[in-house]
Amino acid sequence: MISPNVLALLPEYILTITGVLVMLIEAVLKPATNRKPLGWLAILGTLAAGAASFYQLQFGAVQAFSGSIQIDAFSVFFHVLIAAVVVVTLLGSLDYFEGNASHAGEYFALTCFGAVGMMLMTCSVELLMVFIGLEISSISTYIMAGFRKGQATGSEASIKYFLLGSFATAFFLYGIALAFGATGSTSIAAIAAGLGSSATPTMAFLALAMIVIGLGFKVSAAPFHVWTPDVYQGAPAPVVGLMSTAPKAAAFAVLLRITFSGFLGMQPRWAVLIGAIAVLSMTIGNLGALLQKDVKRMLAYSSIAHAGYLLVAFTAFPQDGIAAACFYTAAYAAMNVGAFAVITQVSGYDETSRSTEDFTGLALRRPVMAALLTFFLLSLIGIPFTGGFFGKFYVFSAAVSSGHIWIALIGLANSGVACFYYLRLIAALYTKSLKDVTPEGVDIVPARSFLSVPAGIGLTLAAAATLVLGILPGRVLGLAQRAGTTALAPVEKAAMPLPETK
Amino acid sequence: MPNEYLWFIPLLPFTGFVINGTIGRKLPRAAVTAVALLFTGIPALLVAWLWAGVLAGAGTISIVSAPWIAISGFAVNFAFTVDHLTAIMLGVVTGVGFLIHLYSAGYMAHEEGYWRFFAYLNLFMFFMLVLVLSSSFLLLFVGWEGVGLASYLLIGFYFKKDAAANAGKKAFIVNRIGDFGFLLAMFLIIAHFGSLDFATVFSKASQIGASGGFITTICLLLVVGAAGKSAQIPLYVWLPDAMEGPTPVSALIHAATMVTAGIYMVARCHVLFDRSPAALMVVACIGAATAIFAACIGVVQTDIKRVLAYSTVSQLGYMFLACGVGAYSAGIFHLMTHAFFKALLFLAAGSVIHALSGEQDMRKMGALRKRIPITFWTMTMGVFAIAGLPPWAAFFSKDEILYQAFISGNPLGKLLWFVGLVTAGMTSFYMFRLWFKTFFGESHVEEASHGHDEHGAHGHGVHESPWIMLFPLVVLAVLSVIGGWVGVPKALFGHNEIEAFLYPVFHATAAPNEEIAGNGLEFWLAAVSVLTALAGLGLAWFLYVRKPGTSAALAAKFKPVYTLVENKFYVDEIYSALIVTPILMVSRLLLAGLVDQGVVNGVPAATSAGIRGLGTLTRKMQSGNIRSYAGWLALGAAAVLVFMIFGHASWIRF
Amino acid sequence: MNLDHSILSIITFVPLVGAVVLALLPDKGRTMQWGALAVTLLTFVCTLHLPAHYDYAAHGFQFETNAAWVASPAIRYHLGVDGLSLWLIVLTGFLAPLGVLISWNAIPTRKKTFYVLFLLQQTAMLGVFVALDLFLYYAFWELTLVPMTILIATFGRTENRRKAAIKYFLYAFIPSAILLVAVVWLYARTGTFDVPTLTHLAATHGIPGSSSALWLASLAFLFAFAVKVPVFPLHGWLSDAVAEAPTAAVMVLVGKLGLYSILRFSFGIFPQQSIRIAPLLIALAAIGIVYGALIALVQKDLKRLAAFGTLGHVSVAVLGIFTFTIAGLDGGIYQTLNEGLGGAAFFMLLGLLYERYQTYDIREYGGLAAKFPWMVTLFVITTLSVIGLPMLNGFVGEFLVFSGSMQWSLAHGGSFWWTALATSGVILTASYMLWMIQRVFYGGLGIKSETVAGWDLDAREHIALWPLVALFLAMGVVSPLWTKAIDSFGKANSFTPFQVILVPTEADAARQAHAHGRGFAVVRGYAPDGTPLALNDNGGTK
Repeated sequence: MISPNVLALLPEYILTITGVLVMLIEAVLKPATNRKPLGWLAILGTLAAGAASFYQLQFGAVQAFSGSIQIDAFSVFFHVLIAAVVVVTLLGSLDYFEGNASHAGEYFALTCFGAVGMMLMTCSVELLMVFIGLEISSISTYIMAGFRKGQATGSEASIKYFLLGSFATAFFLYGIALAFGATGSTSIAAIAAGLGSSATPTMAFLALAMIVIGLGFKVSAAPFHVWTPDVYQGAPAPVVGLMSTAPKAAAFAVLLRITFSGFLGMQPRWAVLIGAIAVLSMTIGNLGALLQKDVKRMLAYSSIAHAGYLLVAFTAFPQDGIAAACFYTAAYAAMNVGAFAVITQVSGYDETSRSTEDFTGLALRRPVMAALLTFFLLSLIGIPFTGGFFGKFYVFSAAVSSGHIWIALIGLANSGVACFYYLRLIAALYTKSLKDVTPEGVDIVPARSFLSVPAGIGLTLAAAATLVLGILPGRVLGLAQRAGTTALAPVEKAAMPLPETK
Repeated sequence: MPNEYLWFIPLLPFTGFVINGTIGRKLPRAAVTAVALLFTGIPALLVAWLWAGVLAGAGTISIVSAPWIAISGFAVNFAFTVDHLTAIMLGVVTGVGFLIHLYSAGYMAHEEGYWRFFAYLNLFMFFMLVLVLSSSFLLLFVGWEGVGLASYLLIGFYFKKDAAANAGKKAFIVNRIGDFGFLLAMFLIIAHFGSLDFATVFSKASQIGASGGFITTICLLLVVGAAGKSAQIPLYVWLPDAMEGPTPVSALIHAATMVTAGIYMVARCHVLFDRSPAALMVVACIGAATAIFAACIGVVQTDIKRVLAYSTVSQLGYMFLACGVGAYSAGIFHLMTHAFFKALLFLAAGSVIHALSGEQDMRKMGALRKRIPITFWTMTMGVFAIAGLPPWAAFFSKDEILYQAFISGNPLGKLLWFVGLVTAGMTSFYMFRLWFKTFFGESHVEEASHGHDEHGAHGHGVHESPWIMLFPLVVLAVLSVIGGWVGVPKALFGHNEIEAFLYPVFHATAAPNEEIAGNGLEFWLAAVSVLTALAGLGLAWFLYVRKPGTSAALAAKFKPVYTLVENKFYVDEIYSALIVTPILMVSRLLLAGLVDQGVVNGVPAATSAGIRGLGTLTRKMQSGNIRSYAGWLALGAAAVLVFMIFGHASWIRF
Repeated sequence: MNLDHSILSIITFVPLVGAVVLALLPDKGRTMQWGALAVTLLTFVCTLHLPAHYDYAAHGFQFETNAAWVASPAIRYHLGVDGLSLWLIVLTGFLAPLGVLISWNAIPTRKKTFYVLFLLQQTAMLGVFVALDLFLYYAFWELTLVPMTILIATFGRTENRRKAAIKYFLYAFIPSAILLVAVVWLYARTGTFDVPTLTHLAATHGIPGSSSALWLASLAFLFAFAVKVPVFPLHGWLSDAVAEAPTAAVMVLVGKLGLYSILRFSFGIFPQQSIRIAPLLIALAAIGIVYGALIALVQKDLKRLAAFGTLGHVSVAVLGIFTFTIAGLDGGIYQTLNEGLGGAAFFMLLGLLYERYQTYDIREYGGLAAKFPWMVTLFVITTLSVIGLPMLNGFVGEFLVFSGSMQWSLAHGGSFWWTALATSGVILTASYMLWMIQRVFYGGLGIKSETVAGWDLDAREHIALWPLVALFLAMGVVSPLWTKAIDSFGKANSFTPFQVILVPTEADAARQAHAHGRGFAVVRGYAPDGTPLALNDNGGTK
């Protein structure tokens, strides 16, 4: 029997080692040599980490490092999710730097470290640990955002992200301090217990508010979303694919733990707050995306909107809420990573295709790519038989069954607005553009553009995931529901009064 | 005749239609003719056989098939019934129909689309027979619409001529207006009687003590239908234009059979009409008005077919009048005689036109009696018949109507009689006018005219028609002489067989009249009308033979009146100005323009525009300037803090 | 072996499998056409299994499949057929091969995209008709949008296609989003998506919930469906979508989905609300009939003329079903079938004209009758079916619908005039159809028809069109074959009495009951609030 301290952070260990290895090898390699093997190494590491977290599943809820780390279905769910996202991203990035960057190794290493940070966030039940994880992941993403050293936009994105990010992190840290002040502990369980006896609810309110602000920034929820469009537009496509999903997932995991198990007692209050934030995010996100020409920028706004949809889950009863949120995170990760993977393939390292017009007629040039992108976009709209639909469905039915029909209505009205801009892109994909016809009006036979094997695998994975989540959501949903119960478990141990459930 | 054979009466013509309609194009003309004649001849024979039975005193025959429309609570079968009324109609339709088929074989001999013509003609026979045989409103409506279709196709036979295509369309649409009424009537009948079967409906209706109420509504709606089909005011406008069709068509459909469907229907529904004096009054007035109105127009027409067309309208008015005063049997009687002499007149006119290689204008005829003697003599029979001179057929039928109108309980009875009388006079005038202008006086024929738009290219001089065309003329001529003798009233020492024959059908009305007024009155009335007819004859003779110039002088003298009448009182123009144009304008400007573009599409467009506006606003937030971003963050943070501290969870949750 | 339990799944997913196969095959020569034809024919043959083995005596659903799909929320894979959906499924199966045949040459490029999407559309629509689980139904309902939208965007006729596609999608999607909320709410209330259960619940003691909430939910349902039908004045998407979409897509675009959904879900789950809102819908339908015909009367573009005509025809069906009389319901459903067939034939013929002359502008045609005897024959027959000539299918439907609406008027002492207005449609319809025929085929030659040498129907086109003509006749002459199944549904859903009794003497009632059997049980009908009606004898006729 391995000691819990080894077991609990097994995936993190594996990834850290991989990351370090990649870095060391990178240092000794000649600039000329191909960095692909490093990528494969990183991929293997990530896969191993994912396997390890599956392996953790059998032990139920285990605490380690004097109760600051807890592995349970909840953490495993997010570990696996993050691992999967990273793998797909890496697969997509293998040929991305082809002949462009001599420093691809760093990229792979950073990805691993980022993953470590995110995983740490999802499995720690102690706010300071959470903060450490947050910082690790953030820093690596800051760097990766500006990875295309050539472009000015990249550096701009990176700087903006860094400055505002640190600004937000400060809020989060301050929130932790206040929580400590209010309850005399930074352990979530203890906070939950402390709140009951706490004489100073206002301080607790402030603490939660600060935390929400900090995490709200990470998940780019309005009104803390301002950085998103610029950063997404500037950063390299694969990186955007990564940072629009994995860190968000981690941040949501933290938010779920803190709110539902830490501050459950105050749900009536924060539920309204988060509900309001959700509505704001959906609306601003969709309205902002409505008129965007640049596809990545458009998807940036859409990610804001999706953060909004996801936040709706927080207004529901804990059980359904957590389950719905988990499932939605997974679905959103699958479809968004997929979408960005396609964009990576189509526009390449130096972003040849940016605007909707560049994508016009893609169906003639690269039918498979067009079909896949269409599929992912449809999933983002929330068309049945895709993960996106089930995700929305669960979130909104959770909200409705806890009585918040109003929020469901706003949400679905929003998705009505949303489908306009997704659809404009889809319609563009399938209509001839001037590029495809000679002046005589004859169709130009497009040059066969090949798709690298790993990228293909990555895309297939993403598509398969989106489809499976849409057709047979049973397994994943079951896991999510289990995650929901376990995430609440310690709280029940501490005998927090649950609000009445249906 | 075994009842099952009833099926064959309509189905054989339909078979003919199918054969000629599908492979006719490939067949030689002889074969086409053979098929057409065979499949109309056999039904005629069957009907004859049927008649043998009827005269032998067989009662009502009926036969029912599987349901056509069946939903829980309501069902309509394909069912035929033959009573005495139907028997008469069957005789007329199959007999006259066959003769006209025969005639057409000669008349259309040189047309392209010969096969098409006979296919349509057989189709018409099919629907017409369904119409008269049916034992329910719905099946009657089948025939009703079907003959409309056939007439549409046949009027538009020369579809390359816009006039013909227009006329066809006009006929169909005006008839549709009638059908609209008929349909509503049927819906009301279903809603009130729960069935469309004649027997059921009439038996239930006769149980109702009270009259009027919804029965009146139903009857008036039926009248709309009848007015459409039988070309009564205000829906008569299609019939004159229908003359664009080939002449045999005018004879068969627009004189002898289809146009009388309305009268047949009213007579068929007499049980309902008897329970609604108001409706009967309307029928009578429409009839009288139409009769005299059409006669007026007929007086000044110069196109030989149009004169006949208006006279048809006018004669139909008579029949309506008869029904309106409750003298249904008189109406049917006149229907029958009219079928004979009007078919004759049209065919004869056709023969004249044929002789003149397509010339229809009477001003370009004259002095033809020597050159086409047989046509002349047969047509003469027709003219005398319609003019109402004894002992020709129409004398008896028309007098019966006038007499019934005179003695009817109808408050306007005497007036109606007078109108009828005047009309009779005018009729005899314009028919003799036609007679004189065509066959007497000096010839205005443009010899060897090669105009000949209707048929092929055999434009030699004036020539008598072939025997295949003349034979029907002769038969019909005979009929229009003796046809009336079945209805010689007691007053004239006969005994109105037809009245007695139809008695079981119309037993509600009929006999009593005899008692009310003595035979004397009827005799004198007859005398009066004979004089009127002779007056008409005399006037025509004076104007067109004695002093040919006079008519023109008169026309010049009463210029305005003349133009007004010559242009048919501008009814078509008025309709198009008051109905058609406004509808089109409203649809184009108000509906298509304002409602559809403005509201239906405008509102969503406006909404989306509004949302786009909001979108632009949101984009304004993204200055790209990092300081402003920080500002937004701080602002948001402040808002959240304030909310957490002071916010209340009292709202939401319902 | 007995297919009865798997047949519906087979019917639904054969096109999907076919689509996948086609997607893998190379797009060479006529592979796509033949492939699609084979798949659609196979599907059609499968659909024929239903009427063959349908038990007309039984009530409720048949050929059911019912398996768990998702544990929580309780979503089930529940398929089934009843008198309402039976013929709609067959119709959908029947039209598909014709659609393929008619697109044979009309779609020269990107055939793979076209036929794959076409088959997907098939699956989605069949799914809508067979799904008995509200969630499953909604999934298929939404799915129907996607292939159609892409078809319009890809194969649209003019540069306007992209806008038309998006317009169509938005018009259908936004109401559906609201529908989803209602569905979710319903689930939160009742804990089931199972339609038969919900229907039974509604019939027995009603869905739990405040009356206002129920009203909102029922409106959400009705609105989503009404847009899809479309009901006047929600038809904004129609003319653009029809004008742009390729023939095969238009054939399946309008009518049946929405009408089916109204009958199955609005009537099934919210009967009281539906009855209470009926007067409004009847008025809208009556207006829609006239409105559609009048606008069609002044169109210059053949496709748009047909589009507005279609608006009129679906309005007839709407009018029928909302009378809640047996005649009205049966007629309405029958009319839905007619619209499917007649509309299909009409659009196919227009498509053929377009293949020859590359224009839908009515002013450029004329005088074609002499050149194309067969085409004019088929055009005229279709026209006759559309304007409801007796002995053709259109008449049976229209007749039942209008008589039903008349019964409704009288039963509610209500206005005879709505029926009159609606019936006046028969005049206007005839007007614009005959006008169209004349402008295209009669008179002198037009600009296009003179310059371009067209050709009369070829064998393939004959094969595509004559089955429709045969059906026109069959459905016009032996309608009981179809109404037999439909009637079971109509009878179950009718509320207004079959007829207003004139003088309800005992003898009368007895004779009637004897004559008409069960249908004329002296039902008195119900006022909206469910209280028995006092029927006035000659109501509305004054």
